[in-house]
Amino acid sequence: MSVPLRKLVFSLSLLLVALLSGCASLGPVYQKVETVPADRGLVYIYRPSSFVGGGVSYDVKVGETPVTTLYNGGYYPYLSAPGEVEFWAKTESRSAVTLDVKAGETYFLKGTVGVGLLVGRPHLTVVPNETGAGEIAGCKLIPEKQMTAKAE
Amino acid sequence: MNKLICIIGTLLLLSGCGTTYHVVPEVIHLPSTDCTIAGILEYEGNHDYLPRTIREGGDRGSMPVIRYAYHVGYGKDSIPEIFPLFNPLSLVGFPVGSDSLVIVGALDIVKAGETLKQYSATCVIDKNRSLFYEGDTFSELRKKGLFMVRENIETQMISDREFLSQLLQ
Repeated sequence: MSVPLRKLVFSLSLLLVALLSGCASLGPVYQKVETVPADRGLVYIYRPSSFVGGGVSYDVKVGETPVTTLYNGGYYPYLSAPGEVEFWAKTESRSAVTLDVKAGETYFLKGTVGVGLLVGRPHLTVVPNETGAGEIAGCKLIPEKQMTAKAE
Repeated sequence: MNKLICIIGTLLLLSGCGTTYHVVPEVIHLPSTDCTIAGILEYEGNHDYLPRTIREGGDRGSMPVIRYAYHVGYGKDSIPEIFPLFNPLSLVGFPVGSDSLVIVGALDIVKAGETLKQYSATCVIDKNRSLFYEGDTFSELRKKGLFMVRENIETQMISDREFLSQLLQ
């Protein structure tokens, strides 16, 4: 193999590794959580599949506790205690959104990845339930074992 | 010529920065006066966001019911995610994303099932993000907006203090 060809293969391998580094084996496609404890609110944290930042994943935390690692096309149902709850994520910049969680209510927290200087930046927002229910339909469950950082 | 390039460069860098806050109704801020209405408070949420012109207390039989509620709505990012990837101007500070937030606060004073007075305020917040400027997070914007709504309602109530004192007698 010639030197330029070897360099090309090496570069493509690096690119492939970089692209696949954010991939994860996700679980079954979205299913509505049927039973929610009476003293909890249900927060669906999801990220629609997207080309932009597809290889980037990030932890979503409440306080200092990781809730899930949000992968491209993944979702995670989080049972939250009622009250003012801040969800946040960080790569080269921080994104945070606060929800007034009420027991028995359902919320949709959408994560995306935007352009960054060195790495894609997380962006979290709250979407109306009708919008969230539509967008989450194609997402797959993020298993707890896929979390890069475990909750304490 | 160099000055012109510097000015244009600075303008380009700053074009993606900044957060705007707009609160309606517009009110003239009055010097702080002691204007507090006591009643049976109906509110679910953080007490920090509650107008300081109301308080829980008094004789439950004759006191009005004071209801306060707020709603926070999040706007859709007006800049498609893919757009900044192909926009070379992103590198000189053009916006790569935008955040918007609408916060509505409403306060009702009710006595004997009849609404005596209603106050409301709306805060609209817009922010652009660039590669060099992220600005406040939604959490921080929400908090600032809720405080602005609180202050606006307080000012409206202070302006109405004579009317309110007659109303609640």
